[in-house]
Amino acid sequence: MAEPHVPTIDDLRVKLCYICREEEFHDKPAEPTVQWVHPCNCTLVAHESCLLTWIQSAQQDTKRSANALKCPQCGAAYELESDNPLALRILNSINSVLQLSGKAITIAGTACLLLSFGFGVYIVCTSYGAYALQEFIGKEMYDILLTDDPSNWPYHAFINLPLIPISLICSRTRFFESFPLVPLFIAWTTSPPVSTTESLMRATWNPQPSVAQSYPFAPMFNWPPSPLMASVLFPLISGLYRRYFSRFRHWVMGTQPTPSPPVRRIVWDFNEGGPGQIRVGINAAMEDAPNNQQRQQQQPRLDGENAAPPPEGEEQQDGQGGDPAAVAEQTIRVTSGSLGRFVGGALLIPAISNFMGTLLFRLSKYSTLLRRFLAIRPARASPPADYFAAWFDKHPIGQVNPIKQMGLGLRMVMNVIFGGTKVFAESDPVWWRNYVGLGMFVLGKDCLTLLHLYLTKREIETRRIKSRTFAGVDIHELDLINPPASADTQA
Amino acid sequence: MAVSTRRLQKELTEIKTNGTPVGIKLLQADNFESWFLSIEVLGDTLYQGEVFALKFRFDSQYPISAPAVQFVVDDYYKAPVHPHVYSNGHICASILGSEGWSPVLSVISVCITLQSMLAFAKERKRPPDNDGYVIRARAPENPKKTRFVYHDDEV
Repeated sequence: MAEPHVPTIDDLRVKLCYICREEEFHDKPAEPTVQWVHPCNCTLVAHESCLLTWIQSAQQDTKRSANALKCPQCGAAYELESDNPLALRILNSINSVLQLSGKAITIAGTACLLLSFGFGVYIVCTSYGAYALQEFIGKEMYDILLTDDPSNWPYHAFINLPLIPISLICSRTRFFESFPLVPLFIAWTTSPPVSTTESLMRATWNPQPSVAQSYPFAPMFNWPPSPLMASVLFPLISGLYRRYFSRFRHWVMGTQPTPSPPVRRIVWDFNEGGPGQIRVGINAAMEDAPNNQQRQQQQPRLDGENAAPPPEGEEQQDGQGGDPAAVAEQTIRVTSGSLGRFVGGALLIPAISNFMGTLLFRLSKYSTLLRRFLAIRPARASPPADYFAAWFDKHPIGQVNPIKQMGLGLRMVMNVIFGGTKVFAESDPVWWRNYVGLGMFVLGKDCLTLLHLYLTKREIETRRIKSRTFAGVDIHELDLINPPASADTQA
Repeated sequence: MAVSTRRLQKELTEIKTNGTPVGIKLLQADNFESWFLSIEVLGDTLYQGEVFALKFRFDSQYPISAPAVQFVVDDYYKAPVHPHVYSNGHICASILGSEGWSPVLSVISVCITLQSMLAFAKERKRPPDNDGYVIRARAPENPKKTRFVYHDDEV
């Protein structure tokens, strides 16, 4: 039995395109002929070209592409046949592979760029660190501990040196109450001399057994203090200094210290130096307004405390700007000029300390006391060999009993802390005079800043506006105590 | 002649020959760029007795691309107070967005859909983000430029 005839698109009497709504009657075929399709399970039919336009347009939109190949009425999936030869499929997959590798290249390129940028920053930081170290410990020590050739550097140099500029900048923020030169010192004080070919040859040809023998039992305390001691003691000294200088500052400025939240302190610190006069200016302008003008003018800052203390007055004593105007001023300053000043100032520290150290060295020629304080020694004739190694060669540690071993080890550690390594102990302590010089510079700078602040305050306090005569004003327009004689007598 | 013009011509002829469904009237169809139709919801609904006007705007890609449809808000017509209708007349309905639109839909079928959207409304209120969308002038002039997040699948 033949299967019942299933009608197709060609059996419809009237075809209505669901997209363009054009009709075509079976007895009036369109001229030229147009292809019709019935792509789904419902009654919708369409021009093939209309449907293809719709599918193409829907596929271009990622949100619609899911519905592009589906009948909007019955939801049946359209089956798309196309001339899709192997060549096209290969080309398509090549294209998608290329697309993917393009993405990979973009990512890799960005990573490379970031990496090389980071590496560049690292190089710059490291060279700056080497420069700073040379400035601070002097050329002689630098040649012993580091040398200009990075291939001689100990492994920790590659961590320590780039950290130097960063720590210098950080130390200025007072987030870190640390000595800016900690990375300069903690590692370097215990660093053995680098073994260049030259120094190895010297050690071989010119052994110094007597020094090597005596070394671990050198005197515990000597002058100058060891670099390690100096860096350990630094936070204590700087803390005390800050505290007493702040008191001094308040005494000079006639203000009282107020405890301040730590966050505000950063703002003040960013503000260091320059904005002082602006701060004072704002205070004076704000406090001139209340009724008690005379006294306010005399002592714009003191008044805030004498009266039942208004909170913003209190905060301003410390220059930490409670009022929005001051804060805005500060914020703006942080972003522009002061940032360069801040970073530049931090990075200048090694050069400044070197300059101050050299200055002290020059001055020491005229003063025995200063010479002794700075412990100036003549420059070494030859770089020292590695004394630890030499000593261990002479006294094999394995032969000593364990308790003695421990004692010896402890003794050596103490020696490094209090006396410094032999390399430092025997060299001209350039670092010490630089250290002292830097301290003097900081003190001098702080005093100068304070003087600036004080003079600015004085200037504002003593301001008077100059009064003029009424020269040039028509005298008859003024309401005077003794009215002038009438106009005609004057004329 | 653009595809949209031919298709709209057909729709217009159909409306004129067969008339419009109950509650829907053609107000104005002078050109093939924008049409105005009025809809009202008959029977016992929240919008009983209210008549709203719809403005259709067509581009040359219609019906491949969806028409821009919004309620007319002027001195005479107001937008219905409905959770999917903003006070500026913009409608948040998936069939009017690019994902929901299909060329099988027409001006009349859109009107019928919106009519039933109003008929099945459970409460008279504006969309929760109405103030943010309308008052702060974030709404573009053409509702098609807004990326609506459809609140539910009812419409």
